Amino acid sequence: MPSSRETFEQLLAAALPSAFGVAIRFVRNRDDAEDLVQEASLRAYRSFHTFTPGTNFRAWLLRILTNLYYQKYRQRQREPQLTELEDAPDLYLYLQTRDAGLHQRSDDPAGLVLERLSMDHIAGAIDALPDDFRMVAALYFIEEFSYEEIAGIVDVPIGTVRSRLHRGRKLLQKSLWQLAVDQGLVAPLTPEAAAP
Amino acid sequence: MSQLDQLTCQETFRRLDDYVDRELSADEMQQVREHLDRCEWCASEYVFEEHVIQGVRERIRQITIPADLLSRISLALDRETVEPPR
Repeated sequence: MPSSRETFEQLLAAALPSAFGVAIRFVRNRDDAEDLVQEASLRAYRSFHTFTPGTNFRAWLLRILTNLYYQKYRQRQREPQLTELEDAPDLYLYLQTRDAGLHQRSDDPAGLVLERLSMDHIAGAIDALPDDFRMVAALYFIEEFSYEEIAGIVDVPIGTVRSRLHRGRKLLQKSLWQLAVDQGLVAPLTPEAAAP
Repeated sequence: MSQLDQLTCQETFRRLDDYVDRELSADEMQQVREHLDRCEWCASEYVFEEHVIQGVRERIRQITIPADLLSRISLALDRETVEPPR
């Protein structure tokens, strides 16, 4: 029978890409992300006796990592305030791509936008979200957690996760469109070009 | 399903984010699915939103983790194990 150390390391090895992916979006740099994952792993090991075998180890580890982030890292960063952000309208990217004629150009207009964007572009767009939105977005995009699981990890009500996620996705779409335009996807619409 | 049970475009749109995330009740999932089956406009919005999310997921998961991270954690666990608890 494997020791609890062996079992822990096996579970940790499988969860590490996810934990690092989430951590780097939380702290927005690799060095702090490594420290955060390492310290969260040590804390998880110390309380491994409280983990229920057969339940979701990644969610359990990410909850520890998130608590640690709240305690040690969150205050250090200067965050954009919500009031500084303008909400993006509903279906922002859909309507921009439609108005730019991309729906005629391809069956997959979203793909036309995304193929212009690298991982760094997308990571940068998520990193520019305010902290509360960024945390929920990181857990949502890297894992496929339910709202309830995310709520358990970040310790807020499910309704709060839902609204942060929906609003964060819209803000993200606005950034993605701007980035794709900057990458030459389409020329920004001018009044002359938009006229019939 | 009766006409009364059918969702309008507006009602579907209000549920679209939750539908994409499979966060509606089974009945509501079914109602939205049926609306999308018969409404090309809403279906195109849904497919678009789903593609954006999938595209973001694919790229954001391409992060490479430091090759020695697990072994460094393992070493730290060794130190943890030999140090007597205070």
